[in-house]
Amino acid sequence: MKVESRTVLGAFTFLTVLAIVYWVLVALHGSSTERSGITMLVFSFSAYALLGTYLLAQYLRRHGIPRPEDRFDATQEDGAGVIDYFPATSIWPVGMGLGMVFGACALVWGLWYLAIGAVLFFGAVFGWVTESDYTEDVLPGSDPDELAASHGDFASSSAHGDH
Amino acid sequence: MTILEERPQFAFEAHEASLMEIVPGPRPHGIVKFVTSTDHKQIGLNYLFTGLAGFLVAGLMALVMRTQLIVPNNHFVTENVYNEMFTIHGTLMLFVFAGPFAFAGFGNYLVPLMIGAPDMAFPRFNNLSYWLYLGGFSLLLAGFLTNNGAAQFGWFGYAPLTEAIHSPGPGADLWIVGIGLTGFSGIFTAVNIITTVFTLRAPGMVMFRMPIFVWNILVTMFLILLAFPVLTAAMALLWIDRHLGGNFYNANKGGQPILWQNLFWFFGHPEVYIIALPYFGVATEILATMSRKPVFGYKGMIAATLSIGALAMGVWAHHMYTTGAVLLPFFAAMSLLIAVPTGIKFFNWIGTMWRGTIVLNTAMLFCLGFLAMFLFGGITGVILAQPVLDFQLHNTYFVVAHFHYVLIGAVMAGFGGLYYWLPKMTGRKLSEKWGKLGFALLFIGFNLTFFPQHDLGLRGMPRRIETYNAGMGWNFLNELSSIGAYITAIGVLVNAWNIFTSWRHGEIAGDNPWDGQTLEWACSSPPPDHNFEALPPIRSERPVWDANHPDMLTKVGH
Amino acid sequence: MCCSAMHQLTGLLATNFGSPSGVTTQDHYTRELWRLSGYFSVPIGLIVLGLITFAIVRYRHRPGEDRKPAQFQYHIPIEATYTIIPLVIVAVIFGFMYNAENHVDKVSAKPAVAITVDGFQWGWRFVYPNGHVQIGTADYNNINNNNDLPVLVLPSNETVQLHVVSLDVVHTFYVKEFLFNRDLIPGINNTFDINVTKPGLYPGQCNNICGEYHAYMRFLVDVMTPTQYAAWYANQPACSITTAGVPGIQKGSCAAINAGADFTGYTQAPKG
Repeated sequence: MKVESRTVLGAFTFLTVLAIVYWVLVALHGSSTERSGITMLVFSFSAYALLGTYLLAQYLRRHGIPRPEDRFDATQEDGAGVIDYFPATSIWPVGMGLGMVFGACALVWGLWYLAIGAVLFFGAVFGWVTESDYTEDVLPGSDPDELAASHGDFASSSAHGDH
Repeated sequence: MTILEERPQFAFEAHEASLMEIVPGPRPHGIVKFVTSTDHKQIGLNYLFTGLAGFLVAGLMALVMRTQLIVPNNHFVTENVYNEMFTIHGTLMLFVFAGPFAFAGFGNYLVPLMIGAPDMAFPRFNNLSYWLYLGGFSLLLAGFLTNNGAAQFGWFGYAPLTEAIHSPGPGADLWIVGIGLTGFSGIFTAVNIITTVFTLRAPGMVMFRMPIFVWNILVTMFLILLAFPVLTAAMALLWIDRHLGGNFYNANKGGQPILWQNLFWFFGHPEVYIIALPYFGVATEILATMSRKPVFGYKGMIAATLSIGALAMGVWAHHMYTTGAVLLPFFAAMSLLIAVPTGIKFFNWIGTMWRGTIVLNTAMLFCLGFLAMFLFGGITGVILAQPVLDFQLHNTYFVVAHFHYVLIGAVMAGFGGLYYWLPKMTGRKLSEKWGKLGFALLFIGFNLTFFPQHDLGLRGMPRRIETYNAGMGWNFLNELSSIGAYITAIGVLVNAWNIFTSWRHGEIAGDNPWDGQTLEWACSSPPPDHNFEALPPIRSERPVWDANHPDMLTKVGH
Repeated sequence: MCCSAMHQLTGLLATNFGSPSGVTTQDHYTRELWRLSGYFSVPIGLIVLGLITFAIVRYRHRPGEDRKPAQFQYHIPIEATYTIIPLVIVAVIFGFMYNAENHVDKVSAKPAVAITVDGFQWGWRFVYPNGHVQIGTADYNNINNNNDLPVLVLPSNETVQLHVVSLDVVHTFYVKEFLFNRDLIPGINNTFDINVTKPGLYPGQCNNICGEYHAYMRFLVDVMTPTQYAAWYANQPACSITTAGVPGIQKGSCAAINAGADFTGYTQAPKG
């Protein structure tokens, strides 16, 4: 996580400097309509600050123990074990997508499209969030907490953040 | 069905990977697979071919425009139809083809393969992104079916022309929401790929061993995270103006039309790099493989990509030099500075070829076509980055020629990518014979179309005019340009035919047809579900090459 | 200092790289900068293309050949060179550009003539200091019809200040021979100076998509000698209209237009 956080925090630093330089120059010579640009730059570096800080926290909470993907000498065995959930198929994304497209149509042709869109969208959200519940029966031990607990190795069990 | 993915634990045996289902059970086929699959490879292919469909539709619109302009005072189409054509041509090419084709199509398919991951971090989210993208594409096209026709104000839709009194009807609204949906799709893809790259790399795949393509996609995704929300916000304000009586862009009621330009270009210039950077990555991979060499200046290349990504956030107003309301020296300096990392990339590409063994197959030819066209587009870019010269050339055909050289350079790399990776995706090679013919036609066609447009711009022809006066000295150059467009169209058809036939009848590719270097060549063609059953040890940025060529190992540098 | 260096350079290599010469004093700077860019970009382009071509020819894989490519990956001095040299080139270009920009963008406090240029969908209105107004739209049915174009009359060899204003959407004032574009944006006040050295008739055109008849939003700039201009200026009626494109605008409506400055009724006329 070191390189990751440094990359994002580096971008944050650059954008901060850029925003300050631009702000000063606009204040000295620019037109008043350029305040929009300053605002956007401030929001940009804020966004990167958020993400960079999160990645830095992820790095720090490992107390210097690198993940296998951060080690130059790691072998495949070092990363052995469960990685994550990977559903093979799911019908819910297309329902959710259709819901959002109907929502977009509502912005063009009128609110009644929103009714269809909302039904599709929230129906799909419900299906989506409950999807992994009923697969637990199919594959015992797929509960992530259980897995993390059973897998003592710090480096691999929490490598992918909290579930 | 949920799959718990385990890391492959076998030792790598080159070329001996066999196809093995990780989780037994029936897999959907056909339309059900297309709709429900959360496999990054299926979704990547969906994006690639939907993008190509967008390219064909938008290319057809380009042909209508070139036919309209082939002679002066022509009445092939009406003014409104012509305006629809260039608006939707630009919108489709940028939001449906050029960008998503690379960052979502190649990105989805290749990033997990290249970093040794079983799938994307959020597979279902990935599937959702595709539907939003397809929905946006459909709504953009739906504009043609409405009474007043599709949007008619150019792909950057300067307010107040986009306001309800100047552009009434649902066409403009469909343009707003269509772009909005593709924007959301892009943001979701960005979140997905960033998470994948940061958390799902194979052991030993440290950041500085990732292929340049992955690095470029990563930087692209960070640009998307900043740029697309601004675009969506600008569109939302426009929608409020059109439907809820807002006055954000209405100067008569205290709004500022130029706010649109600032918001739009704050998205729009990073968008140029969102489009270009993935293709730089594609070209880098092809050049290295076809030269049988590691990427020259690997770390310099990454630094250049990061610098381009950073500088791209500070150059938006170079599209607004002639507005008289932006800080010219600041934006000129930033824009000129971007030439430096781009130049570094060029010399690194040359260094990659230097003293290699260069295989001049179709993928490599497209890549060289990219170098030539992008070089030219880059040089005219340095010219246009200077406000004084932009005062002369702004919005003329010189600008049209400039960005088509840049973007078509990128598209050339994209076609090279198809010739390079389709064997991995389909298991069959594309025909070299048809491919070389297709390349020759495209290269000649593109150059014949767009080179004369530089001169047209210097002769004062404004972009987006439906017809022109016969006495302006523009006739012959327009004729040339239109003929070039027809040649390009034939070239596109030849390549499409090649993809279509080779998909079923092409030569069997095998796992590693090009003596590739990066991890995607370690799995079978096409890769099995969840990609890898065995990974080679990752000790440099080209693990497959190291496994296959113990006598020519990549030097390990930390 | 930089300008004398620029003159020496241009003396040595007097080519325009395809650009028109221009007819104003300001465009001299534009042209010089264009040349300077040419001096840098043509050799750089040729060198890069040459290196690529050399590499392809020299290092291409020949059938039957079994050559081991060199696996080198870094060469710090070379990499540093092609980072620093472009930086220097860019800095030099920026220096010249900055100087040229200050000349091109200079706005005089006391121009000889100040004219307001209004753009509307899809025509132009030129307002002179003495109140004389010219309004015109081109023939929407025939782009080859050069009669009835709105005409902007300017004196030569004098500093003319143009104040460009949009009455509806974004337009751009563009005359090829002036090597100059400036946007007309609602809510933005734009003013620039030109000094035309060569009398003549120059075509101009709106250069920003502004709706259906964008292509027809043409005008002419008639640059007269100062004496001719003075004679013309003294003999103008308060208002003149060319009506080829907009049937709605009648001679009699001139005053109404000026009073209300409301173009909505006049400009949305359909093609007919």
